[in-house]
Amino acid sequence: MSKYLDLDIRKIHELLVEKKITPLDLVDEALERIEDAKELNAFITINDKVREEASTLGEVDPNNLFFGIPIAIKDNIVTKGLRTTCASHILDNFIPIYDATVVEKIKDKKMLIIGKTNMDEFAMGSTSETSYFGAPLNPLDKTKVTGGSSGGSAAAVAGKLVPLALGSDTGGSIRNPSNYTGIVGLKPTYGRVSRYGLVAYGSSLDQIGPMTRTVYENASLLNILVGEDEKDLTSVNKTKEDFTRLIGEDIKGLRIALPKYFISDIVTKEVKDRVMEVVSYLKEQGALIDIIDMSYLDTAVTIYQVITMAEASSNLARFDGVRYGYRTEDANSVDIMYAKTRSEGFGNEVKKRIMIGSYILSGENAKTYYDKALMIRDDITKEFNRVFKDYDLIIGPVATRVAPLLDTFNDDPHKAFMDDVLVIPVNMAGLPAMSIPIGTNSKGLPIGLHIIGKAFDEAMIYKLASNIEEVF
Amino acid sequence: MSSYVPTIGIEVHVEIKSNSKLFSSSANTYGMATNTAVNVIDLGYPGTLPTVNKEIIRQGIRTAHILNCDITRKMHFDRKNYFYPDNPKNYQITQNRTPIGRNGYVEIEVDGVRKKIEIEELHIEEDTCKSAHRGNVSLLDFNRAGVPLIEIVTKPCIKNGKEAMAYLTKLKEILFYANISDCKMEEGSMRCEPNISISKDDNFGTKVEVKNVSSIHNVGLAIDYEINRQEEMLNNKETIKEETRRFDEKKGKTILMRVKETGNDYRYFIEPDIPYLELTDEFINDSLKSLPLLPDELREKYSKLGLSSLQIEKLINNRSLNDYFLGLLEFKTNYVMAVNLLLSDISSYLNKHNKVITDTNLSYEKLVSIIDNLESGDLSNKNVKDLIDSLMETDKSLDELKKEFKIENITDDSFIKDIITKVIENNSESVNDYKSGHDRALKYLMGQVMKEAKGSVNPKKASDMLREALNK
Repeated sequence: MSKYLDLDIRKIHELLVEKKITPLDLVDEALERIEDAKELNAFITINDKVREEASTLGEVDPNNLFFGIPIAIKDNIVTKGLRTTCASHILDNFIPIYDATVVEKIKDKKMLIIGKTNMDEFAMGSTSETSYFGAPLNPLDKTKVTGGSSGGSAAAVAGKLVPLALGSDTGGSIRNPSNYTGIVGLKPTYGRVSRYGLVAYGSSLDQIGPMTRTVYENASLLNILVGEDEKDLTSVNKTKEDFTRLIGEDIKGLRIALPKYFISDIVTKEVKDRVMEVVSYLKEQGALIDIIDMSYLDTAVTIYQVITMAEASSNLARFDGVRYGYRTEDANSVDIMYAKTRSEGFGNEVKKRIMIGSYILSGENAKTYYDKALMIRDDITKEFNRVFKDYDLIIGPVATRVAPLLDTFNDDPHKAFMDDVLVIPVNMAGLPAMSIPIGTNSKGLPIGLHIIGKAFDEAMIYKLASNIEEVF
Repeated sequence: MSSYVPTIGIEVHVEIKSNSKLFSSSANTYGMATNTAVNVIDLGYPGTLPTVNKEIIRQGIRTAHILNCDITRKMHFDRKNYFYPDNPKNYQITQNRTPIGRNGYVEIEVDGVRKKIEIEELHIEEDTCKSAHRGNVSLLDFNRAGVPLIEIVTKPCIKNGKEAMAYLTKLKEILFYANISDCKMEEGSMRCEPNISISKDDNFGTKVEVKNVSSIHNVGLAIDYEINRQEEMLNNKETIKEETRRFDEKKGKTILMRVKETGNDYRYFIEPDIPYLELTDEFINDSLKSLPLLPDELREKYSKLGLSSLQIEKLINNRSLNDYFLGLLEFKTNYVMAVNLLLSDISSYLNKHNKVITDTNLSYEKLVSIIDNLESGDLSNKNVKDLIDSLMETDKSLDELKKEFKIENITDDSFIKDIITKVIENNSESVNDYKSGHDRALKYLMGQVMKEAKGSVNPKKASDMLREALNK
């Protein structure tokens, strides 16, 4: 088996330009690897036109690093003509008639979409186990979860099936699986990347981001994804920048905060120790690191639950069997059709969140829960802003421990949320944050560092990350 | 028996005129083939997001202004969640907490008494699909899905059907003249839903809502019917239930549609896909610039020009003639004569041929020269009647037409003198009347002169000569 896909994409690009390989070679290699690693269950749908697309890609553009590079797309991002299921029975026959804005951008760059990756149903979960198609497996230890909800994308990159993937992050869904599988995953600032074509879960939090093997590839892919989109009013207009520009720069004098909460007793010793090792290294490099107090971080999970479930209960109302997707066989009234379609089409976790979300918005509850959650969310944002007056970055662990065994959370759904206790505060404040591998535990399971930046300061995250990547 | 006091409020929905829909770029038109003005946003496809059509926000600002409302400077949209097949997302995007206008009024006059009908609020929202039921099958037309609506809600300050009709007539006239809506109740672009309760004291009685009323006249009938029905019920010691009824035109009765279930729970929350809108002074003023003169302003203006109130009302009732007449004001001419012409010969021509004035060749210059000729006596009213088809249909000037039709009023003194002598001889009684001071006799004699001359003499000259002869 050829090993082109294991090369840095700059090297792959060189080979393409020199005509030593073709995009079809890369696609065939990826398809072969996917077939060999079928048990990982990383993909829900393979793009059966991808070989044809690779053959008709045209002349290689020496200025386009991504020409002919295979990429995997999380299955909640719509792709024209390519089934998009959100890992749900209710959409398992859904073929979109339009492309998400990020997919348009990827196609403009002549990248090749290999397929759609597995995930938690409608991105609801942090292990990818709520998928209608079964959980993907962690390539580093197949008895462990990949994390979620972008678990399929993480498995595809960590399993070396593709060099690049897209994930989405509402409450840690890029960073959590990146952490458990030892890859680089970035959640950009809310508004940085268009959400048009991302099937909504928690609209005010959802954000698409790159999941890659290296920091450079991550920043390069982000270069392509960003930009204000007239189809998404929550996307933000920012001057064009190159996110790779600070990569490799000296971190001397960089001011970094480490909140006490992130190294409190909720974090396992092996994770904490590893993070503290990185801290010592960074100090040696001349970074200024302070351990600080931050309020409200422990409220974030509760706030997250209230906001996402409320928004999800409304966002998922459109899956009713009327216009697209699954519709129940026999129903003799519209109301029965709705009820049967939705109870047969949605999995348990989704139904639970819709019910709780509906309750949260019901009558006076909207004021008691939802409005109050929005207020506390503002407080969390203010708290981050306060810290960022004195610091360039905030760091900590991504999760409290390494990837758990599959089926760990079956009996305790609340515990699954607590898995995201360290990543969720970032979504509340809309900030950019990354999971970058900093080694493994004694059993070879990856541990990641969480790097949180100021709003729209992804470049600073890449600067620190590239420095860490060189050593860990 | 002491009498009950009725309390009536009205909700009006009008479709806003605009090129495209409220949250998508699909055309906002009426009467297109089913499901042709539709895109993925209107269909509520997964991943789609709303964009806000600024043109419609401007229409909202104009409406708030002309209905004397306070304009809400910082506003957002809300989601109203409910399942219904004609509701593509199963939530409607509307304005719940921050309606664009509040605390306005419309002034009406009933039986010579003026009254302000107070407006509680007006807000912008999207329309649903149109559904049609064929036996067991329901069909949906998405052309209407996402069409912009303004909902205008009065305070419960209307006392009877007559007031309601006066309010709706005035509202329709204002919205139509301001180019907000074409307000066609028969096409559904204006929908009125009165709610009626009666009570003997200050506490409001139980409210009954009437829907599907097809004309303003029927709103009046429905309200008066409902007041009587409720009085009879209360007199018979029956209990009025909160319910929705419809008006049956043929029977002249309201008929029960459904009893309201307790507390409709729409689970409102702020639409997270649309950021808050801040309306600046500049945007507001700019929106108001293009407001045309409204009916009450026109009434004032026309009455200063010397038009009678009958003429004014007739003119305002005919929008195209009114707009044409407004253009004529750029020219110096006899406006009273102009309106007479517009409302008589020109209107008959237009009605006969089913045309509007802008379809004809009647330029302002041509109309001004007709009026000049009428004033100088070079053209008689009969001449106008004879020439009207050619005046409207050809681009020939009045002078050319006069030549073509050999219209030259005889101003030959001796010819006129002969006729006058003959008329004076044959009408000695009238001549005596005139001499003893009855002015009306002069009109009669003049009529006889014109009759004798078969309308072919210059009327002004003939009138001068007749007076001279009589006064000898």
